[in-house]
Amino acid sequence: MNNVLYTIFVISISLLLGKLANYLLAALPASLYGMIIYALFLQLNWFSIEKVTKTNQWFIKHMGVCLVPAGMGIINHFELIQQHGLALVVIIFSTTFILLTVIGYLSERFLITPDNHQTNTTADSK
Amino acid sequence: MLTTFITNSPILASIVITLITIATYQFAAACQQKWQYIWLNPMLFTISILVPFLLLTEINYQQYSDKTQILNLLLEPALVALGLPLYQQLKQIRFYWREMTAILVLGITVVIIVSFMLAMWLIKAPEIAIALSLKSVTTPIGITLTEQLFGDSSITAFAILIAGLFGALLGPQWLSFIGVNSAKAQGLAIGSASHVIGTAVLVRKSAEHGAYSSVALILSAVLTALISPWLIPLLQKLFY
Repeated sequence: MNNVLYTIFVISISLLLGKLANYLLAALPASLYGMIIYALFLQLNWFSIEKVTKTNQWFIKHMGVCLVPAGMGIINHFELIQQHGLALVVIIFSTTFILLTVIGYLSERFLITPDNHQTNTTADSK
Repeated sequence: MLTTFITNSPILASIVITLITIATYQFAAACQQKWQYIWLNPMLFTISILVPFLLLTEINYQQYSDKTQILNLLLEPALVALGLPLYQQLKQIRFYWREMTAILVLGITVVIIVSFMLAMWLIKAPEIAIALSLKSVTTPIGITLTEQLFGDSSITAFAILIAGLFGALLGPQWLSFIGVNSAKAQGLAIGSASHVIGTAVLVRKSAEHGAYSSVALILSAVLTALISPWLIPLLQKLFY
């Protein structure tokens, strides 16, 4: 229970700072600033990773339900789907394959990873 | 009957409708756990049950979203919770983050531009174009970004779902077909194009596939969040 409260506390602080960042800098949504700040907190060891892991994983496992109300908006779009259904599918399909191709091809060609170009020792010393 | 219930006792109605949503979702998630079919996506399943339910009970979308506001509010802290996988993946990519970031930035930029222009050309509705150009990220981030840019987030949610299913079902075969066979390249491509759904399928191939896929999932979400608030308004200006 302590760890649950601890996790909620850390996440709330991060979100609060995210709101501040959003207010000052605009650009990104507050929750995304919060996410980056949260990762930074863990990186800097300001909060314990062991304590947050379990509750955090529970949050992530169940976050899908929070997305249902947004998805339900489709109920207002039957007309759009009737009219442009094919165009929607074509756009989604083609751009997904463009992305797969671009990233797959470039990574295969240019991504220099420690295991196939450098030895692990040189990579570690970086 | 239900509509009068909603206007007469709003708080109770809110609890009931939220509980129905959660129960349906949990049932769907349990079904997927049991049978492991990719297309048995809990969100898709829940929506395809709740849409007929709303139509039958004559609850309109505005009422539904008012009553389930608590779920929408919880989306913010849930998104912050993704900071933990972000932190874990950052440790993994520290050796080659430059190359990886460059590749993902290029891919994301191309796809945002192509999706936006195709949508403006074929559908001619800016809010749909915004929604479609933000479909190559994980759903919570896609929805948040779309709402910030005044796009239509329900279209984003569906586009992300469809992109996820396409990539998960056909992605690995397509990549092998064009000669992309290494675990790192397949993982990065599927993770950025098909996010969670793709990663869930790819992780069955090998742990290395799964690791790269989740790196791409998180990294491309952050990069899209950084690129789109600048790129999309620019594209919008181009069309007016």
